[in-house]
Amino acid sequence: MESKAIEKEARLMKGNEALAEAAIRAKIDAYFGYPITPQSEILEYFSREMPNRGGIVLQAESEVASINMIYGAAGAGARVMTSSSGPGISLMQEGLSYIASAQLPCLVVNVSRGGPGLGTIQPSQGDYLQATKGGGHGDYHVIVLAPASVQEMADFVFDAFRLAEKYRNPAMILTDGALGQMMEKVILPEEGSLPKKTPEWATTGKPKWRERNIITSLFIQPEEMEKINLALQKKYELLKQEVRYEEFQTSDAEVVLVAFGLSARICQKVVELGREKGIRIGLTRPITLYPFPEKIINRLAKKIDFFLVVEMNAGQMLEDVKLSVNGICPVHFKGRMGGMIPSPEEVLEEVEMLLEKHSISHDMEVK
Amino acid sequence: MADKVEAKEVKLTAKDFASDQDVRWCPGCGDYSVLAQVQRSFPDLVGIKKEDIVWVSGIGCSSRFPYYMNTYGFHGIHGRAAAIATGVKLANPKLSVWVATGDGDLLSIGGNHFIHACRKNVDLKILLFNNRIYGLTKGQYSPTSEQGKITKTTPYGSVDYPFRAISLALGSRATFIARTLDRDVKHLQAMIKRAAEHKGLAFVEIYQNCVIYNDGAFDIYTNKETKDDHTLYLQHAKPMLFGKNKEKGIKLDGTKLKVININESDNSINDVLVHDEFDESPLYATLLAFMAENSDLPTPVGVFRQVFRLTYDEGVENQIAHIKAKKGEGDLEKFLFSANTWEVN
Ligand code: SF4
Repeated sequence: MESKAIEKEARLMKGNEALAEAAIRAKIDAYFGYPITPQSEILEYFSREMPNRGGIVLQAESEVASINMIYGAAGAGARVMTSSSGPGISLMQEGLSYIASAQLPCLVVNVSRGGPGLGTIQPSQGDYLQATKGGGHGDYHVIVLAPASVQEMADFVFDAFRLAEKYRNPAMILTDGALGQMMEKVILPEEGSLPKKTPEWATTGKPKWRERNIITSLFIQPEEMEKINLALQKKYELLKQEVRYEEFQTSDAEVVLVAFGLSARICQKVVELGREKGIRIGLTRPITLYPFPEKIINRLAKKIDFFLVVEMNAGQMLEDVKLSVNGICPVHFKGRMGGMIPSPEEVLEEVEMLLEKHSISHDMEVK
Repeated sequence: MADKVEAKEVKLTAKDFASDQDVRWCPGCGDYSVLAQVQRSFPDLVGIKKEDIVWVSGIGCSSRFPYYMNTYGFHGIHGRAAAIATGVKLANPKLSVWVATGDGDLLSIGGNHFIHACRKNVDLKILLFNNRIYGLTKGQYSPTSEQGKITKTTPYGSVDYPFRAISLALGSRATFIARTLDRDVKHLQAMIKRAAEHKGLAFVEIYQNCVIYNDGAFDIYTNKETKDDHTLYLQHAKPMLFGKNKEKGIKLDGTKLKVININESDNSINDVLVHDEFDESPLYATLLAFMAENSDLPTPVGVFRQVFRLTYDEGVENQIAHIKAKKGEGDLEKFLFSANTWEVN
């Protein structure tokens, strides 16, 4: 009894380590990865903790190797994951396309940094489009979860595996260097609380009584390939029921910020500061980036003056917000790039500037 | 107008090759020595103009090299330096293309590109800064880390077998293969010059000390007290002798190498193998490549093997000349109107 109580106690942990510890508690069978800043702690944590707690950890020769080891292990029915940052995640896109086509579950963690290219090791959200639109070739999607705290870095590992296994689809946790490196209190999920069974399609050997199964993504006949595509699209349609988001002070808002991950944390502060100044401002935070919470955004669009999308990129989620709003109200954007983090004050300044502009145009309409 | 200016050949110095950038390796890192020796030996290179030199790198500590050389530079993609350098060389064959790379960059993620650049005999000079560790990402084991090595990602010791870079290059048909030490500045300079002179792919493995994450990895080959017994300096047409008084020699015993003392009555200097850099067969160089991991044998440094083959860009040029001779100079106009054409009104 006592040990259970201790388990529930909050611990102070780095985001990357909380995520790795959660994965061990989710009873992953294997982790394949390659060092890259700012996520090497994940590989290091597994290397230290896995051997006597179950599971294989392997430092691959590259991220291309990691994702293919994932492909193999997932095909063998194992619960597997890898992690990397932008440059390494780009290398995994080929593998992800194949895994999505072969319909295998796995988890990929992207602790993003500023790009393009080698870029910087500072945090960024510049991989949004790559993560949510497929990233590799062909019509496919990866389930994408965006944590905004160390607690969620841990919790979303369980959620990601639950979704990946339910839909037989790769899942991604899209986070960034700041969340990976920051230390916060976290209550870790209970070890072994994620049910696990070897799926019937896994390559676990072929005794006489078992049907032969080949894991493949090659369907050379266009009719057959289209069938596979239709099945994938049906799955993505179903996925919409898994949409998750969080709302903060939106019920009476005139202005709604839309932000995910680290930006959402900053925007929460913006809302607090704005409310102190009497601005009716709120925040919508998409938690699942794919599937995207388009309905709630569309619903809000009918009630408010305008949206301000805040991201640490050049305006990537902005596209999804605009599609959801579909012209009902204006959508503005505030972004920083290259590893720069916007301050709550500069976002608020933008809000005030936009409010002024909007009130002017309101006045003009009245006249 | 202005009088004719007399262009005098100015002898360059090491300083001419140093850039204005602050060098940002850890104090005491072996990379400093490699940089200094490159800068010292480059003014002596015959037939290579400074403005024709390009440094290409991938990602890692050593890959900062292009910033510090006052030449054209290319800080590329992790593991891809050999491929990028191949592109540079083929686009402009007159350039002298150098690659600065590490054991992670070249042998882990870049292994594929490396072996193919060797196989094609692209005229590149590849300097491998081998420190047997990942430095930039702060201390994980690398593909040259010895088995059992304890690092951040192998806290209980690594279980996999390391690459022998020299034998990998040999197996991939590199035409010039050498090894040297960051701390032996004269030897390092000599190997850089030899690599520069070679036409074809020159591969130089440099044992480089990482003071922060793998300090002392090569001490045994450079420390005064131990180096004589553990380092074998290969010299063409000379017997392979080592030891304080050059009293020990390498003898071929069947298919194995062993150490003999030439002063002992049964032995003589005539029993000692004589090094032949230009041996066409790779077998004997392969035996030398395997010495590094045998604790009974010293580790060789120097030129393992140099053979002369057509380089890739020469091969391509020859082929183009041949095709042109056969089919004539290409004519775009003629090509465009060679099949059915229509006039659109
Ligand atoms: S980490 Fe090691 S290899 Fe890298 S600069 Fe520092 S001492 Fe040199």
